Amino acid sequence: MTLAVFLPFLFAALCAGLGPRLGRRTGYVAALAFVPALLLALPLSAMPAAVPALEVTRWVPTLDLALALRGDGFSLLFAVLIGVIGTLASLYAVAYLSERERFGRFYAYLLLFGGSMLGLVLSDNLIALFGFWELTSVTSFLLIGLWHTRSAARDGAVKAFLVSALGGLGLLAAVAMIGIAGGSTSLSGLNLEALRASPLFVPALLLTLLAAFTKSAQLPFHLWLPTAMEAPTPVSAFLHSATMVKAGVLLVAKFGLLFGSSALWSGIIVPVGLATLVWGAWIALRQTDLKALLAYSTVSQLGLLMSLYGLADAEGKFAATAHLLNHAAFKAALFFVVGIIDHETGTREIPLLGGLRKALPLTFAAALLASLSMAGVPPLGGFISKELFYEAMLHRGPVFIAVAMLGSALTFAYSFRLLRVFWGPPRHPVGAEPHEAPPGLLVPAGLLTLTALTFGLLPGSAEALTRTAQNALDFAAYRGHLQLWHGVTPALLATLLTWGLGAGLIGQAGRVAILQRRLTPRVNANTVYYALTEGVNVLSSRLIARTQGLALPDQLRIMLGAAALIAGYAVWRAPQVFHPIGTPPLALLPIAALLVAGAVGVLLAHSRLTAVVVTGLTGFGSAAAFLGLRAPDLALTQLLVEAVTVILYLLAFRYLPRGGDLPRARWRLRLDLLLAASMGLGATLLVLAGVRFLAPPISPYYLANSYELAGGRNVVNVLLVDFRGFDTLGEIVVVGTVALAVLALVRLGKGGRPRLEASAPPPSPDTPPAPPRIKEEA
Amino acid sequence: MSRENPTPAPGARRGPTPPPLTGDPILRTVSRAVFALVILFALLLLWRGHNAPGGGFIAGLMTAAALILHRIAYGHSALRLDPARLVPWGLALSFLTGLVPYLLGRPFLKSDYGYITTALTGKFEWASALLFDLGVYLVVVGGSLAIAYGLAEVNPQERVEDDQ
Repeated sequence: MTLAVFLPFLFAALCAGLGPRLGRRTGYVAALAFVPALLLALPLSAMPAAVPALEVTRWVPTLDLALALRGDGFSLLFAVLIGVIGTLASLYAVAYLSERERFGRFYAYLLLFGGSMLGLVLSDNLIALFGFWELTSVTSFLLIGLWHTRSAARDGAVKAFLVSALGGLGLLAAVAMIGIAGGSTSLSGLNLEALRASPLFVPALLLTLLAAFTKSAQLPFHLWLPTAMEAPTPVSAFLHSATMVKAGVLLVAKFGLLFGSSALWSGIIVPVGLATLVWGAWIALRQTDLKALLAYSTVSQLGLLMSLYGLADAEGKFAATAHLLNHAAFKAALFFVVGIIDHETGTREIPLLGGLRKALPLTFAAALLASLSMAGVPPLGGFISKELFYEAMLHRGPVFIAVAMLGSALTFAYSFRLLRVFWGPPRHPVGAEPHEAPPGLLVPAGLLTLTALTFGLLPGSAEALTRTAQNALDFAAYRGHLQLWHGVTPALLATLLTWGLGAGLIGQAGRVAILQRRLTPRVNANTVYYALTEGVNVLSSRLIARTQGLALPDQLRIMLGAAALIAGYAVWRAPQVFHPIGTPPLALLPIAALLVAGAVGVLLAHSRLTAVVVTGLTGFGSAAAFLGLRAPDLALTQLLVEAVTVILYLLAFRYLPRGGDLPRARWRLRLDLLLAASMGLGATLLVLAGVRFLAPPISPYYLANSYELAGGRNVVNVLLVDFRGFDTLGEIVVVGTVALAVLALVRLGKGGRPRLEASAPPPSPDTPPAPPRIKEEA
Repeated sequence: MSRENPTPAPGARRGPTPPPLTGDPILRTVSRAVFALVILFALLLLWRGHNAPGGGFIAGLMTAAALILHRIAYGHSALRLDPARLVPWGLALSFLTGLVPYLLGRPFLKSDYGYITTALTGKFEWASALLFDLGVYLVVVGGSLAIAYGLAEVNPQERVEDDQ
């Protein structure tokens, strides 16, 4: 399992390097990275009976930080799912992407994402789980924004990241609370009684739900998912069908074992899930872009899964796990199909397309089967799991089943709307010559469609897979089975009614469209999102204008004033008993005089050059003082820093305006005097307070041990490179970052920008010929 | 070299280096001699840092100073590559020195040392800390040079507006 998680990360680096050389063939290398994940099918096949394997890589034992991977049935099932779709998406992309794509980057991101997703599903350690969770957010940001020269891609990426990062923060807090209340950072080692009794239980539950809802695009956080389709289609298939968005569902399923006992858990999830089911389907029905339709359909289906897992009973979990499999199969297949249509005709607009059945017969077959599975028509997998969904909702009450039926009827309608591009008179944009897709595109779609068909015709296969998760999710007691024919049950009647409703919706498509237009609310999640981001922008630019836009002296006044206030407050709150300074060594007195002279000299200097030289006096004076206090290392460092600072200053010197006497207002002079005095006083007090040792000094330890433990006679250096090497590592990271930041500033100022914009956007099959295609949420 | 308030010719916008910085014959002659000495001394500091005053940070600053001097005197960099490229290599080197002991089952960044005796050098200590220091050295050289070169390359015509 450790290998399964880490290999994609390793291969990501490999692919990044190979990309420019291998071109599209990098995809074959990328597909190899998922082999260990596929091999997890072996332990999975033994699953309901076998004991979950635990692989622990220790990280910081004292903080209980470890990378613990636990292969229980559910995690393994998910991991294999990611492996399968990941492999197919990598291979599909080989045929799909245009020759001029930056393959290295694309596959590196794809694998990073796949690896973090595998880590997420297999993690048993809560902290690691959070880490991988955030990694999926970051990598999906990179994937969605892959074609970053397009503003829609940037917007989609930022939106996805902001929304899921909000949930990520919630998860961080939730994980901390769970860890504290449950007494362990291991998901399987939590003390459930203690957790349930803890006052942290309810906040942790709510924060977990925030994380799950944002990641799985539940109402009202669904806005990011449809814009995420700006990613290339293979990525959409991966993101939407198997992985990223299902992370929230996974969280609800796994944490349901912790929180499921609470009425609050089901009480929130089930209504939200059902509302998302209906709303997502409603919006999906009015999309004209095939991919947008599928995106909203994903929102809707996630609502269904969410509500089932949210029931937190054996029946719900069984049905949800079965539907999870079905959904992964038909949704990925449909994305691949839409990719083919786009690839062959150059558009995804439903009104522009028609009669593709003749040109693309195999694609049509795949699309038909997958859509029927989505619509819940026998003999396909989707039908069986929808029956289970109805069963579960029937047991909850009439309102629940009514909402479920409404949602499913809409699903039925949009599934057929998707198929409309295959019927009717042949129609496609001028210039496109649609013919059957190459095998590289057809085979992944076909395989998934066959899976969907198998799940329906041989329900036993789907049931065997579902049952592997029974111990992990605690639904072994559930006696139900997956089968096509249960006899005439209320669920079947509900299904027949749903079909009737759905057929009505299709038949009255024109009226439905009018109704939808009329019912469009003016305020929706997207408008709220844009209003919020706009508000933050305005606020921050105003704040910056007030605090940073002033002249340099004013900025300094603000900063010094704030520092003086804080220092004064600290001294006032914690009055230190000052340590007697003792008698300073006489030899240092001249140096002190030099320092003071330097400080006064700066104030009196009239030209900048003099000021620089005199400032140097204080620097070299400090170096001399260090030398006098027997710290040659510090002295040397100070000398060199001083020298390099002077050089840098002189380089910047050329841009400064001529100095000289500036007109000063009298009150301003007084204010500056006051500020300077209080800063000086505060700094002196702080230094004096720092002289006093609150604890026994630690320096003797270093003096005694630096040679024995690290083999160095220079204690300062040993301290830097060994005892506190981690600090130093952090510091050089800071140095590097600062250098890059300065470089960016300077180079941008030189007109590097036009060069950036000049790089042409990579042409690709997904590059839209059309204006914005997502109807921003109905 | 620090002419106050330079007024470059209007056509000189695209010049890689502003004229006031280069071309002084005295500076060239001196820097030719000093450059090698300073670099040597910097490397000495880096080498002996483990047992006597010195170390990667100081050595890096000193090298950067020498390179800037060379750049000012001759108008082109003595380094054949973009100094910013040294930063990731230095970081990677330091990180890897830390990672190796971790992978061997010891604490991250645990340093190791030992002694080798050869006929030529006598008893002589090696320490893995030197590699770490070398990483620090590269980062400091790369970082400070990148900043300095960046500033040197800016066209002085784009001056800051009067700040009061």
